[in-house]
Amino acid sequence: MSIRIEDISYYYERDTAMQVCALDHISAEIPDDQFIGLIGHTGSGKSTLIQTLNGLLKVTEGHIYYNGEDIDGKDFDRKALRAQVGMVFQYPEHQLFEADVLSDVMFGPKNLGLSAEECKARAEEALRMVGLEERYYGLSPFDLSGGQKRRAAIAGVLAMRPKVLILDEPTAGLDPKGRQEILDLIAGMQKSTHMTVILVSHSMDDVARYADRIMVMAGGRLLMYDAPQAIFERSEELEAVGLAAPQIIYALKKIREAGIPVATSALTVEEAAAEVLRAVRKSGKKAKAARRQVHV
Amino acid sequence: MIRIRDLIHDFLLRDDEGNVNGTVRAIDDVSLDVAPGQFIAILGHNGSGKSTLAKHLNALLFPTEGEVWVDGMDTRQEDKLWEIRRRAGMVFQNPDNQIIGQIVEEDVGFGPENMGLPTEKIWKRVDEGLDAVDMQKHRLKSPNRLSGGQKQRVSIAGVIAMHPHCIILDEPTAMLDPSGRREVLAAAHRLHDEEGITIILITHYMEEVIGADHIFVMDRGKVAMQGTPREIFAQVEQLQALGLTVPQVTLLGHMLREQGLELPEAVLTADELAEKLGAIYEHSH
Amino acid sequence: MFNSITLGQYYQTDSVLHRLDPRIKVVATFLYLVSLFVANSVAGYLVSALFLAAMIALSNVPVRYILRGMKTIALLLVITMLFNLFLTPGDVLFQLGPLKASKEGLILACKMGVRLSMLILGSSLMTLTTTPTRLTDAMETLMRPLRRFRVPVHEIAMMMSIALRFIPILMEETDKIMKAQIARGADFEDRNIMKRIRSMVPLLVPLFISAFRRANDLALAMEARCYRGGDGRTKMKPLKYEGRDHAAYAVLFGYLALCIALRFVKGMLPGFLGI
Repeated sequence: MSIRIEDISYYYERDTAMQVCALDHISAEIPDDQFIGLIGHTGSGKSTLIQTLNGLLKVTEGHIYYNGEDIDGKDFDRKALRAQVGMVFQYPEHQLFEADVLSDVMFGPKNLGLSAEECKARAEEALRMVGLEERYYGLSPFDLSGGQKRRAAIAGVLAMRPKVLILDEPTAGLDPKGRQEILDLIAGMQKSTHMTVILVSHSMDDVARYADRIMVMAGGRLLMYDAPQAIFERSEELEAVGLAAPQIIYALKKIREAGIPVATSALTVEEAAAEVLRAVRKSGKKAKAARRQVHV
Repeated sequence: MIRIRDLIHDFLLRDDEGNVNGTVRAIDDVSLDVAPGQFIAILGHNGSGKSTLAKHLNALLFPTEGEVWVDGMDTRQEDKLWEIRRRAGMVFQNPDNQIIGQIVEEDVGFGPENMGLPTEKIWKRVDEGLDAVDMQKHRLKSPNRLSGGQKQRVSIAGVIAMHPHCIILDEPTAMLDPSGRREVLAAAHRLHDEEGITIILITHYMEEVIGADHIFVMDRGKVAMQGTPREIFAQVEQLQALGLTVPQVTLLGHMLREQGLELPEAVLTADELAEKLGAIYEHSH
Repeated sequence: MFNSITLGQYYQTDSVLHRLDPRIKVVATFLYLVSLFVANSVAGYLVSALFLAAMIALSNVPVRYILRGMKTIALLLVITMLFNLFLTPGDVLFQLGPLKASKEGLILACKMGVRLSMLILGSSLMTLTTTPTRLTDAMETLMRPLRRFRVPVHEIAMMMSIALRFIPILMEETDKIMKAQIARGADFEDRNIMKRIRSMVPLLVPLFISAFRRANDLALAMEARCYRGGDGRTKMKPLKYEGRDHAAYAVLFGYLALCIALRFVKGMLPGFLGI
């Protein structure tokens, strides 16, 4: 049990006429070694929620416990928390500032007060994780391509060796190949390091493929928090808040309406293809067997 | 409407002192035609040259070699520059960095003001522009209070107010959320269907190009593929090799076809796939 | 974090002041500033204060909202007053260590405080009741004569208006980058000044890069929309004086005349009014 959220609320411009309730009594538990997808519209409160998790925003009501300790407690070390709960903001490449890639990635570890060698070792480890080769270390981060910049920026957070990594739409603005690469990278990292990943995304299709569990937010409330299949079974509820199940599930539903007995729980195109083939072939065999029986 | 012949564009690379020390070829011998009233999509991964191409259509860049004609005007003719920019309007990627006015209606009026139209005419054009993208009720708001999709619609309205013959949308949805993307796409289709405006949509979202008349796929500065959406989406492997994908439904159809089901080469919608699969299923019974 | 700054931000409501031509509001603010220096007496300040109070009443902007904006500059005001109090030579009133407060200093400090507060209130009233666009339009028109001296009036106005449009965007961006760097362990609140200055680098470098990128994008977007400077450009909302504007000019000059008259009769005013 890594992060426990207990009945938290967050208000912007509290006690003024412009008061906005961004988080409305949310409770959830985020266990270790999980890939969690966080889905919701712009303004659903998901950005606010992730910022409360590493103490960048202080909740108005309720408590957040990290490994059993209240992060708003008097003696709680928030700087240490930010190292443990790493946060990759949207368009993270916009925070690059150092003269070369390696120094930029070392910024986080340096702030932790580590020795120069340790900082360098961590930075190199992080850069390896995101797949940036050594020949890029000395380059200015601004000379990298868009996708490389983003990797360098993600490495800047990884170098702090977080136990929980929160990524706010890490694929925004990338082309399909870039998107795929970043998502594969994150999923691979989660598997190999067993850190908890919270992936904030607009794309149900992306989340469906990778997440162990999905959080759905709407209007500042946590609407659902469950395994992907269970979430997508409630597609009508999703649609009611302007979200949708993955395209592939709708395609399967249409196929079933066309009279083919397919299950509609596939999360990826590969799974869906296998399911359709199974249904079509099985029925084909049955039909052939039936014909044969008639002949006999 | 648009005629490009043997277009080459080289960017100059400069060292720290500003001396030219090399060139990068962003567009490499492209020729293409767009007929009036077409809905054209240009696909390609980041860095494939599609945005450079777009800037040629609006005379923001000029050919290193070859020629670009917009509505019968060569973009190299300096005296036609403003007329070309008016007729081929442009919407850019970042919604924040292209709105000049501090109030929606004032931004829409920016183009007509630059054209030197009399005040009453500017107001009329602003009304038209706002109506065309259904933003009339937000006309007095500050752009900072709009969603990404609404901001892009304001940008489109600003172009419409200049009475263009053609609108080039350069990755207008790349920074938007799904609902914003739908809004902008719907606006582009409406302008095409109802006002007969030629649309050139540059994107890397495959779902957005299904409704196009013709698709050009760019790679390394060249036109790597072209054809109707169906023709393009039939070539799944080739698209993937170019760093692109196909819509999930098309991909599903493709996988099933590879496994021996008798599906057509490119399935574009879920309905189409369900119908074809239904027929196969019936048949095997 | 920047939301607390309300000083001089446009307050949307309807009032006579809101409807006035922006040019008169610019002129009035300038003349009000002049009047504060002309009216060098208690009586003069009373008139100025009354005038200001009347304008605030006419503006329909809640007084609390205006005063909240003043909080941000209260410290500056106090420092200025203390400087005047202790650094003006004259009859010593009291002593604080090596600092001597004089009677002349006290009077000067009070006058300075009143002047500055009214000055700030007056000019914020202008921005509170005028949209930035109308304000830049007014500046452009009023400065037009300067074009003869090759002052790029249109360009300056355009720059002002673009700056105003992008300030909120860049503020938001600052907030975002700051948070991103804090998430990487950066500390922007170190007590050590040198460390604090150095800690700004990770904030300022990305901010400047972003500002340049935005400027570049915007320039391209403006060109694409046929922008080619002020020549041949027409206005969607041209400025036009109406009846109420002429009346406002009359009130303004009446007020100014009163201030000047008070200045001349300063010595003849009874009691403390003449100080």
